[in-house]
Amino acid sequence: MPGKTDKEACLFSEANVRKIETDYEDWHKNRLREEDRQLDGKYFTPSGIPVKLIYSPADIKDIRYSEDVGFSGQPPFVRGVYPNMYRGRLFTVRQLAGLGAPEDCNQRVKYLLKHGATGINILFDLPTIRGYDSDDPEAEGNVGYCGAAVDSIDDMDTFFADIDLGSISTSIVTHLPSTSLVIPGMYFGVAEKRGTPLQKLAGTCQNDFIMETCVGSAPEILPPPVSFKMQCDVIEWIVKHAPRWNPVSYNGYNLREAGTDAVTEVGVAIANAIATAEELINRGLKIDDFAPRMSFFWDLHNDFFEEIAKCRASRKVWYKLMTERFGARNENSMRMRFHVQTAGVTLTATEPLNNIVRSGIQGLAAVLGGCQSLHIDSYDEAYSAPTEEAALVSIRTQQIIQQETGVVNTVDPLAGSYYVESLTEEMTHRIFQFIQKIEDMGGLVTAVENGWLHREISKYNHTHQKQIETGERKVVGVNYMKAESEAACPIEVFEYPETYSRQKARLEKLRKTRNKEKVKSCLEELRAKCHSGDNLFPYCLEAVKNHATLGEIEEAFREEFGLWSFPLMG
Amino acid sequence: MKKTDRLIEAALAGDKLSIARMISLVERGDDQAGRILEKIYPQSGGAYYIGITGPPGAGKSTIVDRLIHLFCVNGYSVGVIAIDPSSPFTGGSLLGDRIRINRDAFKEDVFFRSMSAGRVMGGLSRTAKDASRILDACGKEIVIMETVGVGQSELDIAQATDTIMVVVVPESGDNIQTLKAGLMEIGDIFAVNKSDRAGAEDMASSIKAMLDLAPLKMDWHPSVFLTAATLNQGVDELYEGLWNHYRHLRKEDRLKLRRKNQLRSELVRKVDEIVFESLRDRMNRDENLDLLLEDIWSKKTDIYTAARNIADQWKAGASGKHGHTDEMS
Amino acid sequence: MERRIRVVMAKLGLDIHWRGVLLVSQFLKDAGMEVIYIGNKFPEQIVEAAIEEDADVVGVSTLSGNHLTLGPKVVELLKAQGMETVKVFMGGVIPPNHIPILKGKGIHEVFGPDTPMQTIIDGIKTAILGTDPPTG
Repeated sequence: MPGKTDKEACLFSEANVRKIETDYEDWHKNRLREEDRQLDGKYFTPSGIPVKLIYSPADIKDIRYSEDVGFSGQPPFVRGVYPNMYRGRLFTVRQLAGLGAPEDCNQRVKYLLKHGATGINILFDLPTIRGYDSDDPEAEGNVGYCGAAVDSIDDMDTFFADIDLGSISTSIVTHLPSTSLVIPGMYFGVAEKRGTPLQKLAGTCQNDFIMETCVGSAPEILPPPVSFKMQCDVIEWIVKHAPRWNPVSYNGYNLREAGTDAVTEVGVAIANAIATAEELINRGLKIDDFAPRMSFFWDLHNDFFEEIAKCRASRKVWYKLMTERFGARNENSMRMRFHVQTAGVTLTATEPLNNIVRSGIQGLAAVLGGCQSLHIDSYDEAYSAPTEEAALVSIRTQQIIQQETGVVNTVDPLAGSYYVESLTEEMTHRIFQFIQKIEDMGGLVTAVENGWLHREISKYNHTHQKQIETGERKVVGVNYMKAESEAACPIEVFEYPETYSRQKARLEKLRKTRNKEKVKSCLEELRAKCHSGDNLFPYCLEAVKNHATLGEIEEAFREEFGLWSFPLMG
Repeated sequence: MKKTDRLIEAALAGDKLSIARMISLVERGDDQAGRILEKIYPQSGGAYYIGITGPPGAGKSTIVDRLIHLFCVNGYSVGVIAIDPSSPFTGGSLLGDRIRINRDAFKEDVFFRSMSAGRVMGGLSRTAKDASRILDACGKEIVIMETVGVGQSELDIAQATDTIMVVVVPESGDNIQTLKAGLMEIGDIFAVNKSDRAGAEDMASSIKAMLDLAPLKMDWHPSVFLTAATLNQGVDELYEGLWNHYRHLRKEDRLKLRRKNQLRSELVRKVDEIVFESLRDRMNRDENLDLLLEDIWSKKTDIYTAARNIADQWKAGASGKHGHTDEMS
Repeated sequence: MERRIRVVMAKLGLDIHWRGVLLVSQFLKDAGMEVIYIGNKFPEQIVEAAIEEDADVVGVSTLSGNHLTLGPKVVELLKAQGMETVKVFMGGVIPPNHIPILKGKGIHEVFGPDTPMQTIIDGIKTAILGTDPPTG
């Protein structure tokens, strides 16, 4: 990095660097063949960072170890958020659960816990994700596929039957802020009913307005400013009442999957965190009240070193923002913790067993990057949420990384690699630049509202696909070394065809037996509060405790706030 | 011919598929297009033609969606032509105006058609006008033409409609100066959409102020409305505003005058097109053209004289044939 | 003027994955087709659009598992409206063993993940123009 003057603090003495630079020139001129030199400047990471043939101390000559790298568990946290990292606690093996009706999911959760999963990711079916009850006409054809159907607090109770909520960590994958106002409340309500105090509950909900407005945009979405406000409501309420719960997981993952590079993935997530922090500070909170509970979710893609550098750089960016911009004092505010999922978008439907290797390598990168929890995609996820067999291979892959490879025994083993350190510096720089660009545009909510982010995604995909079509980008088994005959291993698709009828019957019964007056008054109060600027979480919680359904609450939002379509086509 | 007549008959009886096919034939400049347009012309003229335009992202489609709903609730049938002026003449197009349209309750009463300007033979104005005339003749009481106001297309629809609605949106930091002057001139009705945003009222008053300075068109003071179409706010008033303008036009034969003026320029344009096409056709088939070019190249004659000679010859040949130009070549 | 193929592209039902369908739409556009992208719609609305837009092709994308319940419905409704010449293509995450079922119900072709765009373009051109695409 130019402009640094403190040569004393740098890793290598000036004299040494000069010698290395001279040696490099000499090597470049005399050892390399002309055709090797021709390739200079032709290699890039997927984010567009130039990749040199070889790296040396000269490439990281400006890095000051103590300030720019340091040790784990201390600023700037590049090497990891905790001093002892995986020796203290291994990354959480977090696998998906959620297919079919709640009772099916309950079986699956028990199966996963028995086989060594330490955290559960609940994935919902599309109607639930989008806030429709299973018996809504809009839900037709999607109930129980690709995730669990959860309509009411009673479904949540069934989902976690015989499981002690105080002893597990649950990631409730409510992508949207609007459903994050409702579904975690169902979980909290069940805990309360069973006598487990909210203070004991560990888990995460995703709650990311980018998911609602950019990534999973369906026909009907709440307008970005509304979705963003709800995101902040959820965080504000949860940090005050359920202190072990992570009320937000800034979802770089799905944005990346939708089609962006690593810099945009991290840049958007952090820009969102900045916007949230500003809003919550406006509401009277202090940065250290909530920043320790903000978590992130990264997508670990194919480019091994860039992905590792991304993890390291994102921690550094966060640290700098928290201290320099927001004046955080609590070190927990400065620690960027993140969950990783391997890149579903890299999985291929052809030759699906290759996916085990892809996901394994991506998972390894996540661990070398210092993730807090990890989901390794199952090889059949290009087709469906995973079958039991495939899910087990994923857990086993994680266990192999943990127990057999030895990579968890020492902290951040790639630190000091000339390449990785140089890449980390460059990523840090580019992420900051990206965040600046968003702010210059008027902030993230504006960049979403005017369609900028959608267009970026669209452009990226177009380019990316062209590269695959032309063979410029190679995908093994797809456009490179494709097997002659497609003797692909048959993939069994998990289906719960009866989910729809079961959920429908259950809802019918619920609507008959619950206290109708109470439900009505709860929903009316919620509607009234929609325009008050008040935090909506407590009103949603009250409604779900009185057996209002997800769809009923979301319908109230849709009517009160109106619907928005993203301006993709101008 | 029989096939074409059957198609026309079915379309006039309201068969959607036939209407759709007729529009395609006209759009593509098919041989049957002439007959179709001649046959439907006498049936047209009953509809109220509305043009909706404005900058990209102003929420035009959402407003169209809400207006469709209101027209249908009040018992009118609606045809919509959504024109994308951005697609190039060659190559394909990607049209997205249908995304925001939800009209399940009234699907029988609505006909929505997407059109790309690039596709159009003989200019956007002609095809859009022809297509809307088809919708009119086939029984649609309201015909809406929607397009982005970024160049020529909004002027084209101004030439083809009774009322022009301009939809604008308050953008932070922007103001009325950024609005294209052309849009200000053609608007009969203005909707400042996304009125829940800061700056909406300011924008509305500056539009009003600007309109006060402009000369009246047909004694009409353009009206300005605040709307938030996604929240369904202000749309009822906008709807009433449209009818107010329509009632104003119906008085003192203003509608007739406006439409006759439009017909006059349409007629001139059509003759232009026909003459142009036949002349170009003739030139392209003229074996002597290469020789003439050689003469121009070697300066034996000049390009101006050569051009005038060709035109004069053509005029001499064309005289006495009274517009049956397609027999001429 | 060369006949341009009109394609109505839709996401099926609630499905939220807009990336793929838009990508295919862009490639079809680049290949000279007139693409009308209608967003998320149910079969009745898709067919309604196909009629009014006088489509040659309907492309339906789904990644959410509703392909068997909702996909064939598009074909049935088109037939009921006298539009059996319209070819219905499906794409997205569709398990291989479901493809014969869908084809049996009148879906013209199913394109799974990893399908090269050129295959989709050629598939449509062959189906509509009746000619084999140029090789290479």
